[in-house]
Amino acid sequence: MSNVNTTTFTIVVVLFIVVTGVGFGAARWRRASDMMHLDQWGLGGRGFGTFITWFLLGGDLYTAYTFIAVPALVFGSGSIGFFAVAYTIMVFPIALIFLPRLWSISRVHGYVTPADFIRGRYGSRGLALAAAFTGILALMPYIALQLVGIDAVLQVMGVGTTATNTFLKDLPLIIAFLVLAIFTYVSGLRAPATIAFIKDTLIYVFVLVAIFYIPTRLGGWSHIFGAAQTHFAAINPKTGKPNGTFVPSSGSIGSTRFDFASLALGSAVALFVYPHAITGTLAAKRRDTVKRNMVYLPTYSVLLALIALFGYMAVADPVTGANIKKAGGNAQLAVPYLFQHMFPSWFTGVAFAGIIIGALVPAAIMAIAAANLFTRNIFKEFFKPDATPRLQTQMSRWASLVVKIGALLFAIELPHTFSINLQLLGGVWILQLAPMLIGGLFTRWFHRWALLTGWFAGMIYGTIAAYNVKNATTSHWAGSSDIVFGRSIYIGLSAVILNLVIAVVLTLVLKAARVPEGADETLPHQYTADPDKTPAPVPAGVGLSAPD
Amino acid sequence: MTEPTSRSRSMIAAHPITSATIAVLVAADIFFSLYAPIYSRVTPKVGDFPFFYFYLLIFMPITSLVLWLAIRLQKRLEPPAQAPEAEREAVG
Repeated sequence: MSNVNTTTFTIVVVLFIVVTGVGFGAARWRRASDMMHLDQWGLGGRGFGTFITWFLLGGDLYTAYTFIAVPALVFGSGSIGFFAVAYTIMVFPIALIFLPRLWSISRVHGYVTPADFIRGRYGSRGLALAAAFTGILALMPYIALQLVGIDAVLQVMGVGTTATNTFLKDLPLIIAFLVLAIFTYVSGLRAPATIAFIKDTLIYVFVLVAIFYIPTRLGGWSHIFGAAQTHFAAINPKTGKPNGTFVPSSGSIGSTRFDFASLALGSAVALFVYPHAITGTLAAKRRDTVKRNMVYLPTYSVLLALIALFGYMAVADPVTGANIKKAGGNAQLAVPYLFQHMFPSWFTGVAFAGIIIGALVPAAIMAIAAANLFTRNIFKEFFKPDATPRLQTQMSRWASLVVKIGALLFAIELPHTFSINLQLLGGVWILQLAPMLIGGLFTRWFHRWALLTGWFAGMIYGTIAAYNVKNATTSHWAGSSDIVFGRSIYIGLSAVILNLVIAVVLTLVLKAARVPEGADETLPHQYTADPDKTPAPVPAGVGLSAPD
Repeated sequence: MTEPTSRSRSMIAAHPITSATIAVLVAADIFFSLYAPIYSRVTPKVGDFPFFYFYLLIFMPITSLVLWLAIRLQKRLEPPAQAPEAEREAVG
């Protein structure tokens, strides 16, 4: 730990301790009479208003990994990285179409997970299992990537890099994650909801300061954009192609306008199908809370756009470029190195603490979402149908620990590129739930077996297609675009189109053959209900807790 | 195929213009961020920002505004008995 900056390190440690205290204290916040209920531990009592939901969803969707990976992609490839900006714009109109319906139906029936809804809508345990399995599978690498985000910051801070022993090297990461695991176990969703306040305050402050200050050090925006434009137009001697694109064009494969748009659309549809995003949504108190957040959440998108621009600042700053080259060309280090070079050490500490804490919030919500999927749709469904709310909560708490330890092993034992590839696949996988989930919110037309077959085909096709992407330097997992009918398109989107076509065709066939459909426990008016306004009938035995 | 509730179907029939406006607002918001050829170019520059980057940044407040408008209009579609309470909620 010879080259650790003491000021930076102290500030990070102090802020981390504050957050730990808040995380444990959160269990007392808005305390309910019976905490041993999944509505309490897993959904924070389903009572969050507009303001808290805004912080919670903001902390949930804009993860530390986003803050590291988006500028890294911009630094490495240029404008294609801005797909994340376009996607965080279009995600809100798209979500406004279906998310309030999901909230209403889940509130009326007491659904905790998206798979609960699929079970109720199609009367199919198999389809719900497919949804739960996909959700857990996609969340695991996502949690691991939060650790990769923390690791990038720790590496630039110089923590653990000089230790030769693997355990010592990863000790800070292990401590951070143990703390996270324990306060999630104790406080449930209340922990990330309170920590999100601190995290977002830190991040808003450092991003706003950085976006005004750094350009003054680098000769203004015209120089930053100019340097980026020159850099990405230059020919890379290794590949014989340009370094990247400055705006999406029709030329280079993997960075075309069609890639850009399909990647943005696919990610936008996937975002609110991810179980952790749904967990954050279902914790909202009112239907209007969900709707209003679609108006307020784009504030975070502005933040993301500014963070993406850090990638170009890193291109324009020769010192950052040299540091990254010294660290083996790892683009993930672009933002940490940029801050370290540009800011006094105390402010770097604030920024780094923001990123590290920013990893804890989504990681906690993801672990809760994965744990709830396991408890509700695997454990209760297949092993213990008569599980009491208390047993379910206990099960979820333990499952959240297991999920996080799994993610920790993932991040420590496997190369980081493996986690990144898996997360890329996670996006492709989770999109395969869109037909059954979003489709199911609007129509009961699809047949359950048709949806299951479409899902299976999409999963297989997406996985193989992603594995086979190659470029000049790597033979597999080289990107997220696939060439279909002469067009370069995001694999998730081509896979979900295949999925949808199969679901439609098979539904027609199965309906013609009069194969029995499952029972639908939902009623049309429940999709627009807000039980706090007009109490809707609650079917017996689904365990709706009285809010507040 | 789709199954809007009998109530909301009648509300859409009662306010065809409001319903169509909401649909157009949301669809336009998606289209103008999705259709990259509109904004995927360097010029005209706005200040030091190439058009592509300026467009993406300015689109965010526009999205907020458009969705705010859409949600306001949706309130008109709600049954009148609930309207006053919805108003209070929006203020509070």
